Amino acid sequence: MDLGDATGRTSRVMVQENEKLGNAVGIPKEPGHDKQLSDLVHKPQVGFTRSLGTLIAIALNTFRETVRDRVLYAIVVFALVATLAGLVFGSLSVDQDVRVLEDLGLFTITIFGGIISVFVGTNLVFKEIDRKTIFLIVTKPINRWEFIAGKFLGLALCVFVTTYSMGLFLIGITSLQMGSLGHAMPILLALSFIYAEMLLVIGLATFFSTFATPLMSMVFTISLWICGHLSNSLLSLGKLSTQASVQVITQAIYYTIPDLASLTLLRSQLVDGGAVPPNLLGAIVVYIVAYCILLIAGASLIAERKEFN
Amino acid sequence: MTDAVIQVEGLVKDHVSHFLRKRFRALDGLDLTVQKGEAFGLLGPNGAGKTTTQKLLLGLTRPTAGTIKVLGKPAGDKSALERIGFLPENPYFYAYLTAQEFLDFFAQLFDLNGKQKSDRIKELLELVSLTEAKDRPIRKFSKGMMQRLGVAQALINDPDLVFFDEPNSGLDPIGRRDIRQIMLLLKQKGKTIFFNSHMLPDVKDICDRVGILHRGKMIGQNRISDICKSGTYQELEDYFMNMINSAEADYRKTGSVTPYHIEREAQGGPR
Repeated sequence: MDLGDATGRTSRVMVQENEKLGNAVGIPKEPGHDKQLSDLVHKPQVGFTRSLGTLIAIALNTFRETVRDRVLYAIVVFALVATLAGLVFGSLSVDQDVRVLEDLGLFTITIFGGIISVFVGTNLVFKEIDRKTIFLIVTKPINRWEFIAGKFLGLALCVFVTTYSMGLFLIGITSLQMGSLGHAMPILLALSFIYAEMLLVIGLATFFSTFATPLMSMVFTISLWICGHLSNSLLSLGKLSTQASVQVITQAIYYTIPDLASLTLLRSQLVDGGAVPPNLLGAIVVYIVAYCILLIAGASLIAERKEFN
Repeated sequence: MTDAVIQVEGLVKDHVSHFLRKRFRALDGLDLTVQKGEAFGLLGPNGAGKTTTQKLLLGLTRPTAGTIKVLGKPAGDKSALERIGFLPENPYFYAYLTAQEFLDFFAQLFDLNGKQKSDRIKELLELVSLTEAKDRPIRKFSKGMMQRLGVAQALINDPDLVFFDEPNSGLDPIGRRDIRQIMLLLKQKGKTIFFNSHMLPDVKDICDRVGILHRGKMIGQNRISDICKSGTYQELEDYFMNMINSAEADYRKTGSVTPYHIEREAQGGPR
């Protein structure tokens, strides 16, 4: 007599269900079936092409990780709502509604882009170590600098997508407000400066995440982000001093921390319709790239010496 | 001429605590040789130093003293890692990826591309019976499915040497049988297998030789054929328990474990 289980299913039904479940979860149909595995004839490349492939693989994996996190969408939606608030504040101003909308929009993009960069960046390497996924990565034939640079590039790609998505939204509502696309180009140029700033923030967050906990990395990154915006004031403060040592110290700090104050100044000039000389734009690109390379090199040196217990 | 795939001499590893900088010796003068095509099982109680040994062999940590050669290269060398597969203990995978994406990612790290990559992934998914679940996010996988996926990633590069750290822990009998079958297949294909396990029946079925680690020291090495003369795993269990008990008695008397139990004549290739 087949008593079945507590829900009244007979053993035959249970077997059928288990077979169905087995197929779904991949349990082999027959015990002891012969497994086969062919040999792989493969000659891996070496040098630049190989490094490029590794960088792309790690960057795309990091990008996937970030864009599949629902928190990102919550942040972006919140940023879009904050941008829309510019319409309300703009209507309270006297003939400055577009200006208020643009300023608030760009400020929102900077803040929310920064939040994504800091919160994801400071977890970038730490999470891999904490969850031990790093064991699978560093036991593969890759260099540790490729891992660090790949993580940086993946997050940089994600921040690029979010910054420009929010920027396009801002261009859309500004154009609707004005009835023309007249402010599209200055906003796009301003977005490039915001993205350059974000790259520096991501670089700082990646650097700190190789040796500090996420909380400490956040404190360090946000502190340097704020200090970077005050760098010009720091230099002016040093010049006011009569002591040479103070001037040397403030200059040393000025040249060490990222010069975000100058970036913001140039961005404002652009939005106001001013022009930035091409050689200055070139110098900014070199500065950003060099600063990021130095941060990644520093993070790679730390990762190279790190033991994974 | 030697066909040694793993050669370890006088390996010492000290862990230093973060706060008080207190030293703890996890491995103490380990000597070990694993020959090409051999399946070597490293046994020992929890905390004996088995995982530490694997981490040192893979270059995840650096030794305090001693030398390591894996596939003729220092531990962690890139050219050696091209030919190595590794399944860590209780692996945590990228939960946001599907099984297919996960294998694709690791295939790219080995510079596999195009049809060769897709064929290899397809074959491995079939081998570990995950073809039907290939598009499902890993976060929805059971422990057994995760372990099988871990095995698949360890084999993506068709390695000559495979490290498995507790591959059967927490698996149901079906999962255990699956992993055992794959390991036997690898053995049949002439791969060198180095694995840590507490599952003595599996060790008996798969390994040519075992080593017993206790308190960071190798207290015994012998061939399975010499231990399990009647073919039952209970003999391996008795061997294991005798080794541990005599080493513990030794420790209680002298305060240290003497690696005198090593049967030197048993160190060699598979029979």
